[in-house]
Amino acid sequence: MNMLKKIIRTWTLSELLKGLSVTGRYLFRKKFTLNYPEEKAPQSPRFRGLHALRRYPDGEERCIACKLCEAVCPAMAITIEAAPRDEDAPEINGVGRSRNYGNRRTTKYELDLFKCIFCGYCEEACPVEAIVETRVYEYIFDGRGQNVMTKEALLRIGDEHEPQLAADLEVDGRYR
Amino acid sequence: MDTQKDQVTIELNDTRLEARQGQMLIEVADANGVSIPRFCYHKKLSVSANCRMCLVEVENAPKMLPACATPVTDGMKAWTKSPKAIAAQKSVMEFLLINHPLDCPVCDQGGECDLQEMALGYGGDTSRYTEGKRIIKEKDYGSLVSTEMSRCIHCTRCVRFGVEIAGIPEIGGTGRGDHMQIGTYVQKALSSELSGNIIDLCPVGALLSKPFLFSARSWELKSVPGVAPHDAVGSNIQIQTRNGKVMRVIPQENEAVNEIWISDRDRFSYLALDSEDRVTQPMVRNSDGQLVETDWQSALEAAVNGMKMVASTDGGGALGALASPSSTTEEFYLLQKLMRGLGSNSVDHRLRQQDFSGQSDQIAPQLGTTLQQIEQQNAVLIVGSDIQREQPLLSHRIRKAALSGAAVSTVNPDGIEFNFPLSGEVVTDQLTPALSAIARAMVDMGMGGDLSGLSALVADANVEPAHQAVAESLIGGEKAMVLMGEIAYRDQNQAVIYALTGAIASMSGATFSVLTEGANALGGLLAGAVPHRDTADATVDSVGMDVASMVDMAPKGLLLMGIEAESDLAAGPAAADAIRKSEFVVSLSTFADSVTMGKSDVILPLAAFTESSGTFVNAEGEWQSFGGAVAPKGEARPGWKILRVMGTMANLDGFDYNSSEDVLSEVRGLCDQAETEKWSWSALSDLGDASSCTVASTPIYQVDSLVRRSEPLQQTPLAHAGQATTGGAE
Amino acid sequence: MISEAARADIDRWVEKYPEEQKQSAVMAALRIVQDENGGSITTEMMDEVAAYLDMPPINVYEVATFYSMYEHKPVGKHKLCVCTNISCMLRNSKGVVDHLQEKLDIGFGEVTEDGMFSLKEVECLGACVNAPVMQVGEHYHEQLNPEKIDRLLDELRQES
Repeated sequence: MNMLKKIIRTWTLSELLKGLSVTGRYLFRKKFTLNYPEEKAPQSPRFRGLHALRRYPDGEERCIACKLCEAVCPAMAITIEAAPRDEDAPEINGVGRSRNYGNRRTTKYELDLFKCIFCGYCEEACPVEAIVETRVYEYIFDGRGQNVMTKEALLRIGDEHEPQLAADLEVDGRYR
Repeated sequence: MDTQKDQVTIELNDTRLEARQGQMLIEVADANGVSIPRFCYHKKLSVSANCRMCLVEVENAPKMLPACATPVTDGMKAWTKSPKAIAAQKSVMEFLLINHPLDCPVCDQGGECDLQEMALGYGGDTSRYTEGKRIIKEKDYGSLVSTEMSRCIHCTRCVRFGVEIAGIPEIGGTGRGDHMQIGTYVQKALSSELSGNIIDLCPVGALLSKPFLFSARSWELKSVPGVAPHDAVGSNIQIQTRNGKVMRVIPQENEAVNEIWISDRDRFSYLALDSEDRVTQPMVRNSDGQLVETDWQSALEAAVNGMKMVASTDGGGALGALASPSSTTEEFYLLQKLMRGLGSNSVDHRLRQQDFSGQSDQIAPQLGTTLQQIEQQNAVLIVGSDIQREQPLLSHRIRKAALSGAAVSTVNPDGIEFNFPLSGEVVTDQLTPALSAIARAMVDMGMGGDLSGLSALVADANVEPAHQAVAESLIGGEKAMVLMGEIAYRDQNQAVIYALTGAIASMSGATFSVLTEGANALGGLLAGAVPHRDTADATVDSVGMDVASMVDMAPKGLLLMGIEAESDLAAGPAAADAIRKSEFVVSLSTFADSVTMGKSDVILPLAAFTESSGTFVNAEGEWQSFGGAVAPKGEARPGWKILRVMGTMANLDGFDYNSSEDVLSEVRGLCDQAETEKWSWSALSDLGDASSCTVASTPIYQVDSLVRRSEPLQQTPLAHAGQATTGGAE
Repeated sequence: MISEAARADIDRWVEKYPEEQKQSAVMAALRIVQDENGGSITTEMMDEVAAYLDMPPINVYEVATFYSMYEHKPVGKHKLCVCTNISCMLRNSKGVVDHLQEKLDIGFGEVTEDGMFSLKEVECLGACVNAPVMQVGEHYHEQLNPEKIDRLLDELRQES
């Protein structure tokens, strides 16, 4: 009996038609393929892209060198050296120097993007929302060593994307 | 006392436990592994019961009781984790957190903080307190302790430490209620030699190590046990490192040695390890008289060939070696083996000693009892010692004895004060007459012993009431000890003083203790790094040159190990001159001082105490071994390795060791065999010149090259005050 | 700096305690020194008291800062201590305070320009029955109202 059914199915091409009907249906549906790079996928405020270090509105860097991100990082991609902010620290937008003298600050903040697995734990661990992940995912390295993001580079990215970062954190704030 | 009567049975968390009458509940709980949260209670400090964190439920008590201030009674029933107890503890925690800033991410205590840990267990997730928190201005406690008093929870551990342990009440609680602040009230740097311990005592991040500030988190540090290299106590320490660099030193609990304390010297001397004048490359002086950096092979060859050259032209006796008294036993042993192999007995480490005439009659400098036993003494006589600055933690034991009623008396030069009460005091610049007078008083009291050579001196002495009182207190003490310190040991007339002190001890039946400089003077003597004795007190054919004669005669070939001639030797500039006169000088140096750099023909970089394995023998004769915590800086190598290779290169037998443990087992074996015959004291048969003048002891932060280079230590009031710092005992 | 008279006075207090506990006289000593100095004490004086009573200075600081009747800043010739606790508050101590502040042109803890008055807020003086209350020197002035206060101030001015 089963044998008979199988023969009928084979010879009437019913399986083929069934498959083709799926193909056919999708042929007339709205396409969801994106023509990257002209078109881009929508991003969540929680998108975990390239890292950045943020500043306070007065220009002082947020990072307080607590090293929680370093500790939580499963890939051990973050290296931090800390020290009291010294008198020779550069002024930022004209403020920060005298007010933050002696405060705990990083002297080195390095993040190896080759090691990073973009898990976002660093963001979660940060008590001052200093290290964050931006929506940037298009970046290249054109030389050895560029994979290690320095503090300056991270702060620069932060400065560049601050409005977006602040907005994203605002949206996500109530779930944190 | 009847022990049966003394025992009580209590029920703690429904478990029957045996306890001693009068013990506090928290002690019983600790002894039985029941954890009760606490902040103000500390086993080494008095009970103050002001943090209220240890509240527990006790049967028939109307309210929760603090476990730290509740003595156990027979049949007592207590619960530490009942709903009522937990609720009380949580409420206390909520109150404690009201004014605590919760700035854990920027706090150095984060990760090793009692409050943080307790808050995890007993804290709520949110605070009901919405008003502003209290902020207290930072206080300046000097160069060692950094403060953040807004974090203070008023446990008063530091206040009690100042009163009870340091003996200098400097910190107190001023103001009242919400305005209460812990501090010194007036701007003042802490002046205790133990002040760093308040960093460990502080259960929160209010008191922190200033040199360590913000430099690492506790979870990044690798901890390696070590032994502090500054005094004969041999305090156990933990050397904490990060990325191959020593970040800080903290105490390691060892009830038999340092309890839970370490001196500031032990805690902050690591800061010298990275000083700019570390020697990191082997150097050889070329034909132009310039020091040039070279590799180990050629430096060692130059050193060994030079030494052998001197030995072959002028005989082995023309060679001399000086080592720091804080060298390891292994280094001492190999050094003397090398020198004796080359035909010289002139090895010495007693750098600040001036009189060596009595050396053959003297036992190795040691305590003669255990450190813990010091607390049990009824009478202590301190002869020529600024013990509080020389051996801070040994002095703490004497202080404990003094506070529990022991009669402590001193025979000291003027200007030395202690943090414990003295029952008798003989202030003199002339130790010999004073000691003779005490001995005479004892003889007069019929305690006469064998005084042989001393008889005439003692018979002539003029006994004053002060001397009489000291003699009486020693004889009256059931357990007594006579302790001879550095000032006496360095005296130009040390032989007589030593014999007199020994005689006083033997006449009064007291323990005779000798304490001298360096971490390992006893190890140096046991290993045979002295001109008159071979390893394990074996006799030598001919006595070699001691430090004083080496300075006088300037041996043609000199081997220096860890020495800065101008600061480490009693002779100072004269010693530097002697070294400059010498024909061939090899220096194993950690630091490049001017004499080493100016004269040495070969400089071999020596690893510091954190970088080398080794063994220190402390004053009570305890052999304490340690491993290296970090790799030596630059090309520096541990001393035992350098000496071993030098021995091999000099074609001497018995230098094929694989590890420092091999060296240790050899020297330990020799000593253990010899230890069956006890060290003994014998009276001096021949008296030299009996006049005496004392020399000042070395200031506490000048004793060795490490503390001299530790900048924060040099900035303390104690560094400037020298030995004349006031003790402040009431 | 402690005068002979003050020393004699302190000694009288020291005698009341066992010899080894002469630091018990610290509160009396501080009061004597404060009175002599016109109502306030300085750190130097506390140090001297500590030295005189053979106790660590910090313990004197602790006592002197704990009790609010020891003043660490100069005060006026007359120290007006106004109670603002509940009984007085209910009987309009605020009015008393406002009147005084307006009249003298000073706030709590301040001294008038002529050095005559200083104002201090204190806790319950134990005279609630006649609230609002103010203590001046060793005298209580009770059931205060603006007229009474003006009269008192004038009297005090005339006194000196």
